[in-house]
Parts: sequence; structure tokens; C-alpha cells
Amino acid sequence: MPLWFVRGLRRGVVTTRYPARPDSSAAALPTPPAFRPQALTRELADRLCLVCPSRALTRSGDVLVFDAGACTACGRCQEAAPEAVTPSGEFELAATDRGHLVKRIPLLGEGDS
Amino acid sequence: MTAASAAESSAGPARPASTAETAEALRRSVARQFRRSLHIRTLDTGSCAACEQEIRLLAAPHYDLHRLGFFFTPAPRHADLLMVTGPMIRAFDIAARKTYAAMPGPKLVVATGACALGGVYSSDAFTHGGIGETLPVDVWIPGCPPSPLALLQGLLVAVDRLAEKVRELTFTQEGDHR
Repeated sequence: MPLWFVRGLRRGVVTTRYPARPDSSAAALPTPPAFRPQALTRELADRLCLVCPSRALTRSGDVLVFDAGACTACGRCQEAAPEAVTPSGEFELAATDRGHLVKRIPLLGEGDS
Repeated sequence: MTAASAAESSAGPARPASTAETAEALRRSVARQFRRSLHIRTLDTGSCAACEQEIRLLAAPHYDLHRLGFFFTPAPRHADLLMVTGPMIRAFDIAARKTYAAMPGPKLVVATGACALGGVYSSDAFTHGGIGETLPVDVWIPGCPPSPLALLQGLLVAVDRLAEKVRELTFTQEGDHR
């Protein structure tokens, strides 16, 4: 009997049940950032915009515009400001409209100039 | 409910629906056709092939997309859905349009990866910087590259088997994450 058959019997079903049940590997995926509006100031927002390599972040007035479609989940904004940015943990990001992926995050932090 | 079904069974609807309503009804009927069997053609418009790696993994035992009724096909003539990766380089314009034209209707287009969504490259002499202006996109799947799970979710959203989730997300913390 071929070895792969025995090995297959021993390991059982490896296929994910994904749409019906959550997949165990989903927690390890790199995900776009989630922001803390209270920790975001204009200066910090500008710094995050400079750090972003894929133009996913822009600032317009007191709002940080985050384009989740452009985000590559590289983690540079999290590295630059770990107190204000953490991984969102969301990987189910398919959108039926490009505009649904653009999020406006208010800058509520103290110490604006 | 009864009025709606009566209107459907008769020659035409009792009152003219708005364009948006008609479009939404049409979109839903197309998705319903593809619910149980969907043939996918991938199209690389200058991507780095990371998206292709993830798409290839969909057929691997762990994800096994055939269990959901999705199949890859080598010819656009047999395809219901065009999965486009890459930033749409201008040299690929004609090929992309011809591929789309070769598909039988009704057809869907899925933009796959941050390049295709216009995130990585900006529009210049060599690339459109996103596929949105060349092809009519139905579903956008972000990610660099999108994981096979994200691709599966995108395909299921395209055929209306899963609801779109990202619309309600705010990407902020403070308790109310969504």
C-alpha cells in the first residue's frame, strides 16, 4: 500500500470548514490596522501618512482617511505608533463598491497645534 | 409578497421600478445563477505573482475551492468570473478588453490585491494603477496578497453566498470595532 494513503488516513481531513466555521489559521494573517481616535493627533496622522508605503493613509483636516483597499498590511504604521495603531484582525474585506473600503477616522487626540 | 410574485408572473411589473432597484434585482438574479457553479479565469495584468500564488493555493487540500462549486478554467470562453490581479499595465489594455469580451454573459469581474485596487502604483505612462478604469469591477478584494481565505470570502460575496462585511467596519478601536 502506498505510504501516502496511510499518511492520509492518519492525518484525517485537512480541509478547512471556512464559510461554515471560522478557520484556525485566520488569527495568524497580517491584517490592516485599526486606529485609536483618542490617541491620534494631526502630527501623528501626518507621520503615519509619511510612513505608509502604499498611499493608504491621507489626512484631510481633522480626519485621517484610511483606504483599506490600498493597505498592504505591512505594519509600518503599527511600528511607528504602537499606542495608536494595532492590527484589526479583519481579513474578510471583500467589497462590492470601491468606496466601501475608504474609512474616515476622526482625530480626537489632545495637543493639536 | 403576493403582490410582488403576481407582478413577476405577469407580463411586466405593475409599477415601474427605479433604475437602482432594477439593477439590484438583476445583480441578485445573476448571483443566484452562479451560486452552485462558477468557473473562474484569472488574468495577470502585471502583478508580482504573489496574488497568483494565493489563488493557486485555493485548489490545495486545505482550502479546496471545488467543494464550494468554484472551478478554474483555462479559457475565458468558459469563464463566468474574471479574477484580475496587478495594476493593469497599459501594454495589457487590448488583451484585457479582449479577454472580457470573450467571456459569455452574464459575467463578473473581481479585482484582486492592492495593486488592482489602485493602492501600490499610481497612474503613469506604463500603468493605469488599478483595473477600475479598464474593466467593470463587481467585487474588490484587498490585501497584499489577499490570503486564500480572503479570496474565498470575496468569491462567496460575488455570488451572494456571504454578505459583504467591510462596509460596516470602521477600523477604529475603543470598544466599538465595527
